[in-house]
Amino acid sequence: MTGRRVLLDGRPVVLLEQALGSGLEAAVHPVEGTDDLVVKVYHQPDAAREHRLRRMLALNPLAGRPVDGGQPPELAWPVGLAYGTDGGFLGYGMGRFAGPEHVQLMALFNREQRLRRFPAEADWRFLLGICWNLAFMTARLHHEGLIIGDFSAKNVVVDQRGFATFLDCDSIGFAAPGTGETFPATLHTPDYAAPERLRGEPGSVPSDDFALAVLVYQLLTAGYHPFGGVPRDSEDDVQISDNITASRSFVVRPEAMIIPRGLVDPAVLPPAVLALARQAFGSGLLDTAQRPSSQQWLAALEESRAEGAITICPRRPRHAHGAHLARCPWCDRADETGHDAFNAPEQTPQPPPTGSPPVPEPLSPGPVIHGVTPPLPAHPPGQQAAPSDGNDPWSDWIKPLLIGAGVVLFFLLRFHWGV
Amino acid sequence: MNPAIPGPPTTQPQGLPAAYADIELGNNAQRLPLLLCLDISSSMAGEPIRLLNEALTLWGREIQEDVGLSSSVEIAVVTFGGAGIGVWQGPSLLDPRTTASPFVTAHQFRPPQLTASGVTLLTEAVETGIRLVAARKTELRRSGLQYYRPQICLVTDGLPTDSQGMATDAWRRLVPVLAAEQGAKRFRFYAFGIGGISERGQQVLRELAPKYHATLKGFPFRDLLQTMSASASAEQQGAEEETFEQLFNRFKTQRSAWDS
Repeated sequence: MTGRRVLLDGRPVVLLEQALGSGLEAAVHPVEGTDDLVVKVYHQPDAAREHRLRRMLALNPLAGRPVDGGQPPELAWPVGLAYGTDGGFLGYGMGRFAGPEHVQLMALFNREQRLRRFPAEADWRFLLGICWNLAFMTARLHHEGLIIGDFSAKNVVVDQRGFATFLDCDSIGFAAPGTGETFPATLHTPDYAAPERLRGEPGSVPSDDFALAVLVYQLLTAGYHPFGGVPRDSEDDVQISDNITASRSFVVRPEAMIIPRGLVDPAVLPPAVLALARQAFGSGLLDTAQRPSSQQWLAALEESRAEGAITICPRRPRHAHGAHLARCPWCDRADETGHDAFNAPEQTPQPPPTGSPPVPEPLSPGPVIHGVTPPLPAHPPGQQAAPSDGNDPWSDWIKPLLIGAGVVLFFLLRFHWGV
Repeated sequence: MNPAIPGPPTTQPQGLPAAYADIELGNNAQRLPLLLCLDISSSMAGEPIRLLNEALTLWGREIQEDVGLSSSVEIAVVTFGGAGIGVWQGPSLLDPRTTASPFVTAHQFRPPQLTASGVTLLTEAVETGIRLVAARKTELRRSGLQYYRPQICLVTDGLPTDSQGMATDAWRRLVPVLAAEQGAKRFRFYAFGIGGISERGQQVLRELAPKYHATLKGFPFRDLLQTMSASASAEQQGAEEETFEQLFNRFKTQRSAWDS
């Protein structure tokens, strides 16, 4: 099967016919003979996109920062423009961040996907580390003057160590240095769109902060969207974006709605994080000045990851929780509901509802140890690399913190990976 | 735990009616009910039904690999043929008296093994589909779960018949219902004519699904099911109506030489 010949940055390459993914605007094709490059081909390439991408190529955000230890870049930034053999603009090349190594964030929102696609020891601590990485990535991009815009659980992939990479960089909002041109971020995903974006405004720092708040909330509470749930008085179809527009969040006003069944108590969030969530989904929802910034999230998450802030439950594997809780919330939930958010069910199938044939049990990814198990070795996810630019005012406060965390991480990883 | 926050713990799971117990507790993805309404009447016997079974198996695996769809899309199958209407929950034919929902999350979906025979109760099958989708939405809503606009996908190679196998115009009663339901954005209805569907058969589909009907040469079930996946992804991304039309337009590239 021969694929399409294109010129990528002037160099002839062959695209494989089978797309890795196809969306509303483009399809992403692998490049023959290489595992680390893909080409995003627009369904309707136009001059405006070409111009925008040219300006992006002149930027090189985050170039100065280290990606030691095999950390993937935080952005799948364009590496070159792609043209057809007839000279027509097609799209752009970028690094390949595909499965199974890189997985869309949404896979962490439910147990089956998490067990299937992530390391066996992925627990709440791992999720907390990913939240930190997302907050770091957001803060770093904002510091560079970039607006993520279409920040969603589909547009971010994380690798097996929890490093985050943002994929669709062509929608990022930026200003071209020198020319004074601005390229707003116009795309959004409704479930992650702040109210002002749902009203049609382009992406902004506060709208990215809103998406970050939603993602952090989902990651730390087994996937519950803070604007999930259905208003009591409604018989119509209600979308998450309707709840966002109407300021209906169970985190702030649980009495107003039918909350999603089996809801995880928001109090599983460490106090500093819960306070930010209440602010982001309460007063900061409509008033962007009150919306917590990525730096505030980063600080709260740092505090939640600090030494002694996390308790490992001795009773069940993969149960970790904030030390602010005296009891393991995951064990309590498993005892109350029969559902363990981190461990696959026992292999004895539940009796089916009367009159219905049995539903096949999903395939278990491997044997699960039940009962008392010693805690697994410390396994924090990888931490996004710190900025290295010494003139960077932003790095002043975060640097000592990161160096400390980095040293600890280095020894932990050495121990864990047996390097 | 903070007592001020009315959490789920003590009452909710137990308070759920038994019929909702099949809504996975560990899966909080916004659901997208997808109902396949499949013709398995006698004209589908042999190669076509074999291809359909094979395509359902492959597609089932494919959709499980898709992180975005596997936890969100809920699949139910309604067949018409054989002794009448069959409602399937994954591989199992449901007892007509059951209250259990036929919808199964994509990551748990195992396809049924279908055999072809009997008449084409298309009208009744579509009505069953509409009813099941409405019931599912109520179940999800009562569980506090959101859903995207459901999709109903009708696939047939023939003309609607009554239970005696005689061609009937009963399908005409579906036209206003489908128009009203879709006008209220309650679901999207897609109709595919396959195999050697007659001009009259195609006309039925055109009237049932004025925008979203297509006639496919042969039995490209995989292609058709992949279009359902693409439509589901588009729905999740909040796509505009024209995107869904584009998805269908590619099926309309081959036209009769007599068409303008």
